[in-house]
Amino acid sequence: MKILLIEDETELRNSIEQYLKLEGFLIESVADFTDASYKLADYNYDCILVDITLPNGNGLDLIRQVKKSQSKVGIIIISAKNSIDDKINGLDLGADDYLPKPFSLAELNSRIKALIRRNNFSGNTTLLLNEIAIIPEERLVKINDEKVLLTAKEFDLLLFFVMNKNRVVSKNTIAEHLWGDDSDQMDSHDFIYVHLRNLKKKLAEKGCKDYIQNIYGIGYNFNLEA
Amino acid sequence: MRLQHKTTLFYLIVSIPLVGIAAFVSYYVIRAELKNGTEEVLRTELHSAKKIIRTFGHPQSIRISSDGLSKIQLVENALPMEHIKDTLIFDPIEKENVEYTILRSNFRFKNQLFQIDLYKNNMDSEELLEGLWAGFGILIAFLFSGFLFVNWFISKTIWKPFFATIHRLEKYDLKQHDSFKLEQVSTYEFNQLNTVVNTMTNKIQNDFIQHKEFTENASHEMQTPLAVIKANLSILMQAPSLSEVEMNAIESIENTIKKLSALNRTLLLLTKIDNQQFTEVETLDLSKLCSSVLENYADLINSRDIKLELNLEHSLQVTMNGTLAEILISNLIQNAIRHNLNNGEIFISTTRNSLILSNTGNPLTMPSVELFLRFRKSVVNNESIGLGLSLVKSITEKNGFSISHSYSSHFHTFTLTI
Repeated sequence: MKILLIEDETELRNSIEQYLKLEGFLIESVADFTDASYKLADYNYDCILVDITLPNGNGLDLIRQVKKSQSKVGIIIISAKNSIDDKINGLDLGADDYLPKPFSLAELNSRIKALIRRNNFSGNTTLLLNEIAIIPEERLVKINDEKVLLTAKEFDLLLFFVMNKNRVVSKNTIAEHLWGDDSDQMDSHDFIYVHLRNLKKKLAEKGCKDYIQNIYGIGYNFNLEA
Repeated sequence: MRLQHKTTLFYLIVSIPLVGIAAFVSYYVIRAELKNGTEEVLRTELHSAKKIIRTFGHPQSIRISSDGLSKIQLVENALPMEHIKDTLIFDPIEKENVEYTILRSNFRFKNQLFQIDLYKNNMDSEELLEGLWAGFGILIAFLFSGFLFVNWFISKTIWKPFFATIHRLEKYDLKQHDSFKLEQVSTYEFNQLNTVVNTMTNKIQNDFIQHKEFTENASHEMQTPLAVIKANLSILMQAPSLSEVEMNAIESIENTIKKLSALNRTLLLLTKIDNQQFTEVETLDLSKLCSSVLENYADLINSRDIKLELNLEHSLQVTMNGTLAEILISNLIQNAIRHNLNNGEIFISTTRNSLILSNTGNPLTMPSVELFLRFRKSVVNNESIGLGLSLVKSITEKNGFSISHSYSSHFHTFTLTI
């Protein structure tokens, strides 16, 4: 899976690159409009992450350019400007997603994966992890071929864990993923604790191993390697 | 005091003494003239008297006037002379002293010395004085009404552009984006005023826009560094063997960033509301919106064992921006949850024109009105960033609604009136 990251802030570019490499993506990154334009003209990518305000140009123009030549590419806008206009313009031009800064890398990761999954498999895909099978588009979970009835929040929680498997995700990141801005001023622990407990219980009932590790203080790790 | 009253008053203050002085001077000038006149008359009479003496040559005394005072008599041991003097003589009819001018002349004719005394009363000049005062009184009355009329006329016509400017300034609202420009007028001074006001408002407007842009840009610029911290923290978290202390530190940084981004986002939102960037409006039902927003908070309400009671049968139609409506309701509900007690209660109800939210909670540590100001928060709840209710206030004001708070018997009640 090839990703092009277009972001002018060096520190952020490095961190995103580092994190996504761990996830097994092939990632290339550029810092300005001109370089991005060359790269997009010369190579094909599965997904591009593009900042809107760039040196020597606007990210929206890059989206226009890429949509002409590579129609199948997934585009995620990462922008400091959480502006509704930018979002609408971007999505109108053919971007698939809009992630306002500051975002967590786990969130970015799960969005990239969802996007690639949708684009490459036309939505019909089953994620298999040991005894767990997830069909995201049908919002269906099976343990050892047996259906598990999950609430919407529990399903989203499980899918988010799976997307970020073997990574530590913080409680705040989970809360933000599940509740968006509503989680802003609340104690994240309150938000997720009940859902997490129920999810664990339902999975265990069907004979699923307890993959969800509690990482003291910080959050959780859906650890398949343990 | 109105300008026209002031000028009239000044005119009067100045004109009354001036008219007084003028009256005084006129009086003496006229009196002197009258005196001259009197003397002239006396001399003419003297001339006639001498003529009588020369013609008749009688030594006996003659009365020569109707007042019975003027007379000619023979005298001895006197020198020829002539003089005029004023004197007071008691008038038995009027019963008062009357001022007379007397001309006495000793006149020698054929070795006889005639003394001629001619009297002329000055009563006329006293009456003149009275007439003068009355005349000047009438003059002042005319002047005063003249001033009033002129002032009224001036304020109706010449001051018109001035009042037009005042009227425009009164209606001036910095937050309305149409540029403010006063028209050219024919009066130089008012034109100058308008030019200065135009320059000033333009400057204020520019400063205001720059200030707003600064706030917006500052908030935007902060997002990227926050994103960097957040991203690096995600990486740091993946480290295989973190100690408890390190994990606590990471968690604390994470929570702080979360708060900071929430703060930043809210400030940005407030700026955007102030900048009127939410212009699209739609008609929506706040009762329905309440129900749908509450779904997002159901978990939180449950986790704190808060009892929720709804009475949302009345539909509450409003025309406003959808995003802002959602932010408004979310913030009110968040507030009701955050400042609630565990095992507390929330009541939400709608009427024809209001939305009422009540929640159990501790009494306020500040006056009710301060609740809606930015960064005012109770000391008890540290999670709050203190902008939620100012956001609510800002949205309600922008839409012409009103919001009020009251507290009684452990219940905070917020009433949103449409």
